[in-house]
Amino acid sequence: MNTQLTNKKNTLSWLYLLALTVLSVYIGVFLELFTDNKILFIVSVLLIVFLKGQQIIDIFMELSQAPKLWRRLLLAYVVILPSIIAIIYML
Amino acid sequence: MNNAININTVFVKQDTRMPIKDVKRLPGDLAMWFFILAELTVFAILFIGFAIAEQQNSEMFSLGKAELHQTSGLINTLALITSSYFVAIALHAMHLGQGKKSASLLVMAKLVACIYIGVKFWEYFSLFELGIDIETNTFFTLYFMITFFHLMHVLLGMVILVFVSVKAAKNAYNAKNISGFESGASYWHMVDMLWIILFPLIYVI
Repeated sequence: MNTQLTNKKNTLSWLYLLALTVLSVYIGVFLELFTDNKILFIVSVLLIVFLKGQQIIDIFMELSQAPKLWRRLLLAYVVILPSIIAIIYML
Repeated sequence: MNNAININTVFVKQDTRMPIKDVKRLPGDLAMWFFILAELTVFAILFIGFAIAEQQNSEMFSLGKAELHQTSGLINTLALITSSYFVAIALHAMHLGQGKKSASLLVMAKLVACIYIGVKFWEYFSLFELGIDIETNTFFTLYFMITFFHLMHVLLGMVILVFVSVKAAKNAYNAKNISGFESGASYWHMVDMLWIILFPLIYVI
């Protein structure tokens, strides 16, 4: 049962990552056509980076089942780094 | 009678005991995770450096990004995500003791990764044909440096996966001895995760 669940999780995560990738393209096209708000664009793109990173960390790397410190360290990376990049672009 | 009491006692003990918590386990070797943290730190410095340089040369970076082929970046994102997926299910197959299946899935992962490598080289040669190289300007210096550095990590990851798949095909991994496979898989997922940050930063934003 757990076996099937793990494979199902991997497949769902893969489809979710593909969907997020396609969504990021559409967001880019949509914002370029209808608004000049670069900050909104950057925040949207970096939010998708976080969502994708979280999937890779929790599901593919299996860190959701690892000691919390390691999971938090990796999650911090996909939160803090995009945030720093966003702040730099907003300066 | 005594037996019945004993059995009931056992059942009572089982019913009232605290549920055992899931044991938290870091997949792979601890050393590999420190290596992954070190790699992530190096890339973080490069990404922040790129963002600062872009902030100071926004026009040059906009023109530079316009020369890049966004679709190839998108194809590479899909390729690396799919390759990571194959590695994840290959590890899962190995946990089930299916060495041959696991090795086949790792071969699939490497084949999909070859799309990334092919597209990346095509992208480089397309730029060379336009007379653009690493010395053209700051944008292209950083573009070639960061993307080539990432490409080197993809190639290293593929070498690791070759070793892992050979061992998997020989059924050399088992429940007690799978950390080598897990370490290789984690490294590969790190390469994928770095691309997920690199692609929007260099190609999109």
